[in-house]
This record gives sequence, C-alpha cells and structure tokens, in this order.
Amino acid sequence: MVRIVFRDDAGNAAEIEARAGQSLMGSAKAAGIAGIEAECGGSMVCATCQVYVAPDWFERLPPASAMEAEMVEYTRHPRPTSRLSCQIMVTPQLDGLEVTTPPSQR
Amino acid sequence: MASLAPVIPAHVRPEQVFDFDIYADPRIGDDVQGTYSAALKGAPDIFWSPRNGGHWVVQRHDLIAEVVKNPGVFSAREMQIPRVENPPFFIPLSVDPPENVPYRHVLMPKFSPRAVAEMEGRMRALAADIVASVADKGQCDFVHDVAARFPVSVFMEVMGLPLDKLHHFRAIADTYFKARTSEAIQASSQQIFGIFNELIAYRRETPGDDLITHFLTVDMGGGRRLSQDEILAMCFVLFLGGMDTVTNVTAFTFQHLAGDPALQARLAAQPDLMPRFAEEGLRMFGVIGTPRLVVQDFDAHGVSFRMGEMVLCALWQSGRDPAKLDDPDRFDIDRAEMPHYNFSTGPHLCLGHALARAEMRILAEEWLKRVPGFRAVPGVRHGFRIGTVIAIESLPLEWDPA
Repeated sequence: MVRIVFRDDAGNAAEIEARAGQSLMGSAKAAGIAGIEAECGGSMVCATCQVYVAPDWFERLPPASAMEAEMVEYTRHPRPTSRLSCQIMVTPQLDGLEVTTPPSQR
Repeated sequence: MASLAPVIPAHVRPEQVFDFDIYADPRIGDDVQGTYSAALKGAPDIFWSPRNGGHWVVQRHDLIAEVVKNPGVFSAREMQIPRVENPPFFIPLSVDPPENVPYRHVLMPKFSPRAVAEMEGRMRALAADIVASVADKGQCDFVHDVAARFPVSVFMEVMGLPLDKLHHFRAIADTYFKARTSEAIQASSQQIFGIFNELIAYRRETPGDDLITHFLTVDMGGGRRLSQDEILAMCFVLFLGGMDTVTNVTAFTFQHLAGDPALQARLAAQPDLMPRFAEEGLRMFGVIGTPRLVVQDFDAHGVSFRMGEMVLCALWQSGRDPAKLDDPDRFDIDRAEMPHYNFSTGPHLCLGHALARAEMRILAEEWLKRVPGFRAVPGVRHGFRIGTVIAIESLPLEWDPA
C-alpha cells in the first residue's frame, strides 16, 4: 500500500492507503476524499479532479502530458503545482506524497 | 408516424423483455421523471423494449457508467432510436475517444469550470432582468417566460447569436427532438445548419469574442484549422444541447418547488442552500437519455448485446436508483450524497456540466429574491415530450406580487 496525504482547503489532512497501479483520482474517490469531483471518471475532459502537489513532490512526478497541461489551465483555481489527479498513477515511489484539494472544483 | 412491429430477437430472454414505449408510454404523466421511475420499478436493470425497432434500456446508476465508459463496445456514433439512414453526426459527441479529446479541448475556453466562474456576473445580470420582467405581474408561464429565456440567452451570447430569434430557435430544437424518420431529421438539421452557415460567414468577416470566431481561428496543432463541416458539426450539438436542456431541468425542478411552500421559504431565507437545491433538482429531474450503438457482440450482466443493436442509457433514472440512495423519489436538499449521471460520465461527459449547474443555481437565487412564494395555477395540464430527450411544455405559475 502507498500512503498519500490529502489536505483540504482548510488544512485538514487525511491519510489514505492507495493501491499501486490505480490513479490518484481513483484512490481518492475510493477513500471518499470530498474535494475530488472527477465528473468524467478519468477521461480528462471535465477538469474537476485538480490537486495542488506539494512543491518538493511536484518536481519528482512524471511530468504532465501536453493535453493535461492544457486541461489544468481550465480548472477553477489553477496554481503552478496543479495537476489532474486522474493523470497521476500511484507507484510505490509515491509513498508519502502530499497533495491539497482546491477551494472548489467548479 | 406509423408504428413499427414489435421486435424481440432470439437471444433476448423472455424475462429481459419489458414493454415500454420511450416515445409515448401511457404510464408517463406531468411528473415525467417520477412516473418514469414508478413505471420502471418492475423492469430489469437492463431490459429490452420491443417498441421503436427494438432496443435495450439501461436504467441503473452503475450500469450506465459501465456502458458510457466502454466506447469500444457501445459507440456514440449513432444516437437515433430507431436507427435511421444517414444518422446525424455531432462533434465531439459522435466521435469515439481518443479522437474526441482535441475537440473537447477546443471548447473548454468557453465551458470550463474557470470560464463559467468568470461568466457569473454577466449571467446573474441576465437572470435578474428576466425575473424582473415578470415579478410584478403575479403570473407567468415559467417555461416560456423564464426557464427558456435564461439559459438560451446565455448560450446565444456565448455563440454570438441574435437574441430576438430565441423562441424561433427553441421551436427548431423541439421539432428536431420530435423527429424520428430520416427525412424529418434531415429537414430539421438543415434548418440548424442554415443558421450556422450564415453565422460562420458573418464571423469570417466580423470577428468577435464569441465561440464561432474562436472555432475559425483556433490552431488544432501544426497550424491546422477546423473545416467548415467540423465547425457545423460542433455548432449542431451545441445548439441542441443549449436550447433545451437547462430549460427543462429547471422547469421540472420548479414544477416540484411550486408545490412545496416550506422549501420555498427556506431557500428564500437561506440562499446558501441553493447549490444543494440545484443539485437535488438535477438528480431528480434529468432530461437526457444517451443512446449508444453496439459495435461488437458483448455479454455482461446476463445480457447478450449484439452488434447493430441500440442501447438507451436512461440517465434520468440514474439519480433514482434505490441501490445508490434511500428513498430516491423524495426531493431532499439535506441528503449527504446526490449521486446521478444526468451529465453522463466518461469521455462524453456533458460539456456544459459546470455551466448548467451555475445557471440553475443563479436563476433560482434571482427568482426567490423577487418571487419568494409562488404556486402552480391549479387545474392546468403542463404537457410534456418524452423520447431520448425529455421536455416540459408549460408551467403556469401565480403569486401575490410584492
């Protein structure tokens, strides 16, 4: 199991156990993280599964595809460390990853 | 139109057949989605209707997601029930992934959660004007005077269409959704293409801040521009999605609200409940069904889907699934969860999901500010249209003006 910390906009933290091979979005939905909508279920068309990745982790993640980078710009509150959680695959290397959900997804 | 002979193929088991006419079932009444839910209580989760050429209906929340997220089996390239020659072609809706994705991205600058948030002030001003135009009259047809005018006005601004044609355009969309023969669909499609051919020609000469100008200038990669046919196929689905959908969900939601004075008072006193009210309205009163064409034989959940069969995902049933929530036919804005797929999900998730939610919320806010208590005019039938898209024809309301 891979431990991932989700913080909400107010700073409340929840640690979840994610399964390698699942997306970060899928792991968050399965664990009932409220700040992830993921309306399209991972098809990269809704822009409602945004997370802000902790800066030291942001550099270490495989970079966003051009398509994801464009889509991130359309999220409700984009920031420099924004990613779409449906495009981040959970791997053992992500153990301890910290992300924050935005004030709102839409 | 002449009714087709009932069709029950040999691979459909008798217990999978449920006789239901999606275009004219006599069990459906003015509470369209409520009577639909009641009528289908005895039907299997996935059933075969022998009517309208014979087709499958998927009526449960999780099963609908399975279908719409499996485009290799359930293609969106044909969406007519019964099937017709030369079916209408929409971009991005009729394009299976991944080819649909670049088109989706072209549309995002006007429909994304961020773009919608930026439009909030303008939308609120439009809604306030429309509500103010009826508030002191003490009565109106909520469909014609309010629910049709607001979302369609927003849509027409986004598209750069003339507002004075609003009711004419709605009538064209209504004719389209009633059409079931190839000829009728073609005729009504040509009217829609006519509107947009004219508009595209105008925007080539007179660029603006509108979506058509964006279509004409956007770089699809490597300098490629969208062709005239691509732009028309995009305008086509935007027109159909923009004319009818929010209007009808809002009107059905207000049909319910008109009979619940306690909820009216609560919402007027606590406008911060409006997002919950809008979401519960969406859950209860979905109006879109999304048809799919089976493009390869597929067996699942005891059902044998065979190539060439049509499958209707009855999205309006997705929010009324007793496996997903308690007492699904009760309107309750205090629910912890309001699960539904009235925007579908997967690669063809409704492009307007953020816009529609914002429009419903803003219109309810502006309405209850000016008309805090209202009721349906008694003894009047509201009328409705059913099929793959549901509509309400009228909603006469009355109130005591302030």
